Amino acid sequence: MIHKKPLWYWALTRCRGLQAVLLVLIVLTIFFRVFPLEMQKRIVNDAIRFRKIDALYLYCALYLGAVVLAGVFKYAINVIQGYIGQKILYELRTGLYRHIVRLPIPFYRRTPPGMVISSVTGELASVGDFLGGAIAVPAVNILTLLTFGVYMFTLNPLLAVLSLAIYPFEILLIPMLQKRFNRLNSDRVTTTRKLSNVVGEAISGIQEIHANAGYPLESRKVERLAKALLDLRHRMNLYRYGIKFTNNFFQSLGPFLLFLIGGYLSITGRFSLGALVAFLSAYEKLYDPWKELMEFYQGYQDARVAYRRIQEAFDVEPEFALEPVNRPPVALQGAVAVEDLTFEVEDRVRLLDHVSLSISPGERVALVGLSGSGKSTLAMVMAQLYRYTQGHVYVDHWELKDLTKADVTPHLGFVSQYPFIFDGTLKENIVYGRQACLSNGTPSATSEADEPALEEILRTVESVGLTDDVLRFGLNSVLDEAREKALGERIVALRRHFRAQWSDALQDTVEFFDAETFLDYSSVAVNIIFGYPTEGGRPCEILPLRPRFRRFLQEAGLDEPLIRLGLDTVNRTVPLLRDLRDDPFFFRQSPIALEEMDTFQEIYEHYSAATPERLPSSVRETLLGLALRLVPGRHKMVVVPRDLKEAILKSRSLFKAYCTQRDPDAFVYYSEEAYLGARTLLENILFGRLKEEASWAWARITDAVVALLKRENLYDTVLEIGLDFEVGSKGDRLSGGQKQKVGIARAFLKNPRILILDEATASLDMASQNRIQQILDGSLRGKATVISVAHRLETIRDYDKIAVMKSGRIVEIGRYDELLEKKGLFYELVRGHG
Amino acid sequence: MSWSADTDKRGQEPSTGEPTATCELDDNVEWLRKTDVFSSIPLERLRVYALMCNRRRFRRGEFLFRQGQPDDKGYILLSGKVQMVREYENHSVIVHDLEAGAFFGGLALLADIRRLFGARAATDVEVLYIERETFRKILRQFPELTERILDVMIKRIVSMEEKILERHLHECVLV
Repeated sequence: MIHKKPLWYWALTRCRGLQAVLLVLIVLTIFFRVFPLEMQKRIVNDAIRFRKIDALYLYCALYLGAVVLAGVFKYAINVIQGYIGQKILYELRTGLYRHIVRLPIPFYRRTPPGMVISSVTGELASVGDFLGGAIAVPAVNILTLLTFGVYMFTLNPLLAVLSLAIYPFEILLIPMLQKRFNRLNSDRVTTTRKLSNVVGEAISGIQEIHANAGYPLESRKVERLAKALLDLRHRMNLYRYGIKFTNNFFQSLGPFLLFLIGGYLSITGRFSLGALVAFLSAYEKLYDPWKELMEFYQGYQDARVAYRRIQEAFDVEPEFALEPVNRPPVALQGAVAVEDLTFEVEDRVRLLDHVSLSISPGERVALVGLSGSGKSTLAMVMAQLYRYTQGHVYVDHWELKDLTKADVTPHLGFVSQYPFIFDGTLKENIVYGRQACLSNGTPSATSEADEPALEEILRTVESVGLTDDVLRFGLNSVLDEAREKALGERIVALRRHFRAQWSDALQDTVEFFDAETFLDYSSVAVNIIFGYPTEGGRPCEILPLRPRFRRFLQEAGLDEPLIRLGLDTVNRTVPLLRDLRDDPFFFRQSPIALEEMDTFQEIYEHYSAATPERLPSSVRETLLGLALRLVPGRHKMVVVPRDLKEAILKSRSLFKAYCTQRDPDAFVYYSEEAYLGARTLLENILFGRLKEEASWAWARITDAVVALLKRENLYDTVLEIGLDFEVGSKGDRLSGGQKQKVGIARAFLKNPRILILDEATASLDMASQNRIQQILDGSLRGKATVISVAHRLETIRDYDKIAVMKSGRIVEIGRYDELLEKKGLFYELVRGHG
Repeated sequence: MSWSADTDKRGQEPSTGEPTATCELDDNVEWLRKTDVFSSIPLERLRVYALMCNRRRFRRGEFLFRQGQPDDKGYILLSGKVQMVREYENHSVIVHDLEAGAFFGGLALLADIRRLFGARAATDVEVLYIERETFRKILRQFPELTERILDVMIKRIVSMEEKILERHLHECVLV
């Protein structure tokens, strides 16, 4: 297990090849560091003294060469060292994460996510930094020290001993300071984790904070921790720089001794001047390796603290093994027998109390009871989510806690009340369970060994009642280039059929693009272009800024009328909405957004009665922009005068001619014969737009479009596109019901032998709920054991067994009618619900 | 919801299809002014209601809402005819015929209830509707309107009860 290894283990066992290269490079570097010293000595003693110019050139060239090589090697050493560190960090991080995600659920009850995140990111990074140089840095510096030491000895043993005598003092003093520093550092890790937790918690609970305006409360929590960190950091600095000071002080004592004694020896002629210069240089060179050793020492101490804290935090074993040893995974048939099961959490709170329950393969069992009765806990124990210690749960004849994940998960589907939706596509979320089995190398016995085929996914989507949603996602998506290439022409070919068959029936719902008609449900800008800009963006935002477009409007005589329209819109909208600024709700159908109200209110107050010619040009521009983005069908306060509509219609062909002449690729014009890449699939099929996004409008459209798509064999393709819908972080682009359906589909797709539903249909409407129930009653009947924690009791009428729970015990068990006749707790529950 | 059978035919039906000099908003205001619930509201406030209303067409035979189902809208009939239908075990009774200008289904604006009647389009119809959420949001903005609107609503409920009581008197004459 990764977290059990000592820190040095990683430095000594990983990247051994690179470490060897590193050591060789280091030895070479040391040589090239000493070599210039010898050159120095020879330049002074040999070349300068005997006035040998040739020798001077030679020594200087050698000196330069050595310095360059030493620099290059140092560069290589740094790069390799960094790489080794990051490589080990990669292994540590992935290994630690593999361990972390397998830790039991109760562990996460007491471990906030902020602490986990801060361990895997920041804390571990400091360990990585250290490990890269764990071997090289001490090796290089100790070797350098020794080399220079020896060199100094050869020059003058007495001086060498004197100048090295200071180091033992430091070696005694510094660890004492470091120990205090470490204690503070450990506190700092704790405080940083707390800080991560507080911030993490605030972000998860942002809704609650906003609702209660709990800003000062939250800020105070962070302030307190930030203050503690400030304090700790400051005290840490006292020690850290204390160590530096000690070090520097002793270092600067050296030259003092050297000058005193070396100078004396030199004057008395017992020591050559060249040797003294070399000696001084050598002594100076001692400083760097020593400093690096000190820094290494401090880095080592930091890494040790961080590593130890991580080890402590995650020193928990996963509750269930991943794969069986010495046997293949078992194939479960779906019998479950709970015998005398007791489940306790901390402080001996008993959630399940001597529960016994026996379920045959294919049976449908409901667990009911008031909240807190233990029904969800029982379901989760049966789903191998909790490890139990007293009693037994047998699946077929195996004890559940001795089975591995590879035995259980391929055969078990679990749907919680609020299934978690991952950021990604709808499809990725639906196939999550199957994909997990695949990547664990344990395909389910009842399903194919490879990725689920499209038909299988669509069948599942249909069975949970998600098809309409997927269709809508598909129709509302803008195709990527590859898909447009593959489908574009076929979609264009559909348009004619569609119009011929449906244009009358959908007159209320769809506004078809027609070059001769003013489009009430498109913006005024789109009405002029009858298309969209090629490089993307909304025409009503891009166009007003372009001088060429402005010139066109003037030439076409649209400029003044549009500005008048803008002003008219301001006059109608500002008085209507200016008192309603505290609720964005009222701005949903307004052409003026809430944040623009100030600008437009000012225009209203100053110019409401002005004629367009007398407006300042900035106001004219703003009003033009407003007019261009008006959608007359949606913005009810707007009237586009009939003659303006006619003028706009006339300008369409002019505009096309005008632009084709000057910049032929600037716009894509609506054409019945071409696929419109920037428009949605639906708009391309319709060659038009929905007048309203309301659900009734969709219902009408769906009937028409589905019939057509099915006839053209495109239906599944559109659903496939819909499956690629990005659901957003935590699925926030899906409704509660949709998320739930995704969760159920995820479990269904595994074709599980045992299906455990923990109030899985609670947030579905009646129709969807009945639909799921029909699957359980129909196609899954007998194939899967269904264990359902039920809230709505009318859904479990036909179940084979209903276990009624109270305070962790099963108090009644039997069929629906039997239990009603008993007039016991179940009867009470049903009556309470009725 | 027979109390909602307010068939006020004063004034001309504003045209709804062709573009005219008035905008949809002004048009909506006119319709709202003609119903008893909204008629007492000052014009500038009424314009906010008119802004937040939506229009929808139904085909002949379609249900606007069904008996026993939840629905969160109040309706004004703009054109066509709507029948309020009460369904029983094996037959159904037309309780009311509504004509243009009628405001119906308004109880749903006050509370989350299930419909006591169904509303069926007897011809192709167009309605103006407002949703409960919108209605409440406007009341929250202008609390002074609450009293007036509640007054009218309650009067409608009382008059409905009166009608029912009268019918009962006719049916069971002095036991």
